[in-house]
Amino acid sequence: MAQKRHRIAVGVMLLVVIVSLAVILAPKEVAAAPFDPALEAHSLSEAELALVHEAVPPAPVQDTCQHCHLSGSIEDMWTPAWRWLVFSVMGVVFVYGSYRMGSAWVTRKPWKPLTARAAEWLDERFQIIEPIRKMLSKPVPIFATRWMYCLGGITFMLLVIQAVTGVLLTMYYKPTPDEAYASIQFIENEVRFGSAIRAIHHWAANGTIIMVVAHLLRVFITGAFKPPRELNWFTGVLLFVLTLGFGFTGYLLPWDQRAFWATTVGTEIGGGIPQIGELALVFLRGGWDVTAITLSRFFALHVLVLPAIIVILLAGHFWMIRRQGIARPL
Amino acid sequence: MAESEVPQEEKTIPFFPDHLLTEARVAVVILFIIAGIGIYALHSPVGLGDPADPMNTPAHTKSEWYFLFLYQILKYVPKSIGALLPFVAVLVLALWPFLDRKTDTKSARRNRFILATVLVAAIIALTLIGEFS
Repeated sequence: MAQKRHRIAVGVMLLVVIVSLAVILAPKEVAAAPFDPALEAHSLSEAELALVHEAVPPAPVQDTCQHCHLSGSIEDMWTPAWRWLVFSVMGVVFVYGSYRMGSAWVTRKPWKPLTARAAEWLDERFQIIEPIRKMLSKPVPIFATRWMYCLGGITFMLLVIQAVTGVLLTMYYKPTPDEAYASIQFIENEVRFGSAIRAIHHWAANGTIIMVVAHLLRVFITGAFKPPRELNWFTGVLLFVLTLGFGFTGYLLPWDQRAFWATTVGTEIGGGIPQIGELALVFLRGGWDVTAITLSRFFALHVLVLPAIIVILLAGHFWMIRRQGIARPL
Repeated sequence: MAESEVPQEEKTIPFFPDHLLTEARVAVVILFIIAGIGIYALHSPVGLGDPADPMNTPAHTKSEWYFLFLYQILKYVPKSIGALLPFVAVLVLALWPFLDRKTDTKSARRNRFILATVLVAAIIALTLIGEFS
């Protein structure tokens, strides 16, 4: 009986979800032209109409709400705060209710959280709980809680922040000389929270460099690179170089004077290497000069190549530290 | 076995949740700083310089601050040496544990500390000279 009741309840909830989705996703009618009393009362000439429109600009055709949110033309960022509050509370109640309800679909068995059921379901198939438990309960020596052992973790955290903000920036950035500068102006002035995202990406990049160097110095001075951890040190140095590579390639992307000439001079130095200098310079610039090709090449390096390499190296770095343990201080 | 019989450096805590919690405290501080940067930038963005103009070389071109010491070195040594120097330095750094294989001692550690301090001081000095010249 109780089982049936639950099924009915779940069915009703599904119905509600489907109906609300249908309402939300249904195609909207294009907004009709706004009622213009001046136009209705008298028949105005073209010039008079222009005057009216100058005083009261016609409403934009787009969905105004969406438009204002995307363009950030709502000056006061806290205006819709009460809406956020009400909707988020409703959302939390809805999600929690669904979670509780979904957790109780088999009534003969004691109530169990949905997550526990999901974990059991996965464990039946892949036997993952035991290895995960082992991994989580791995003992960490107490000396590793000293402050200087957190530098690598901070570096990793900053890299994650860089990845998140970088993805957000990529959605608006355009890697061509004609549009790069303007697209960053668009991010800073038009996109909601765009200036915050860019500033975080900018300053966290500087912070990453500082933290990488601090971590490197800590490992170097405390002698944590000593055998058997040579390879972990080696990947660490590669990661350090990659971080600098991120800095070098990312610096060109705003395409302002400073970026352009710093890259010109920087690649020029690469051209000073004996024997392979010219090859390196042409390879970096995609030609003899810093051009559109250089920009798209640096962009590809910055958002595709370097991230892929850094993820692989980080996985190796973490796997090795897990495997070999944290080096004991002298 | 009594708790006191375990030597201090052998004591351990589980990774989850104990160790992760100590890390999380640091993470929260960082997140607050990041949020502060974001909120500050809503009022005054990072901004841009003038648009790039290949025809117009500005009087002073400076690189990012973390490459500035390399630029500064180039002013004192020939170009080819200056270009090779970072590669040699990184190579030495990467291969350091293969070259320095002896068991670690207190004096070796102190020497490394002195070496690191001198190098970092030199890099900072070069960076500052580069920044204010």
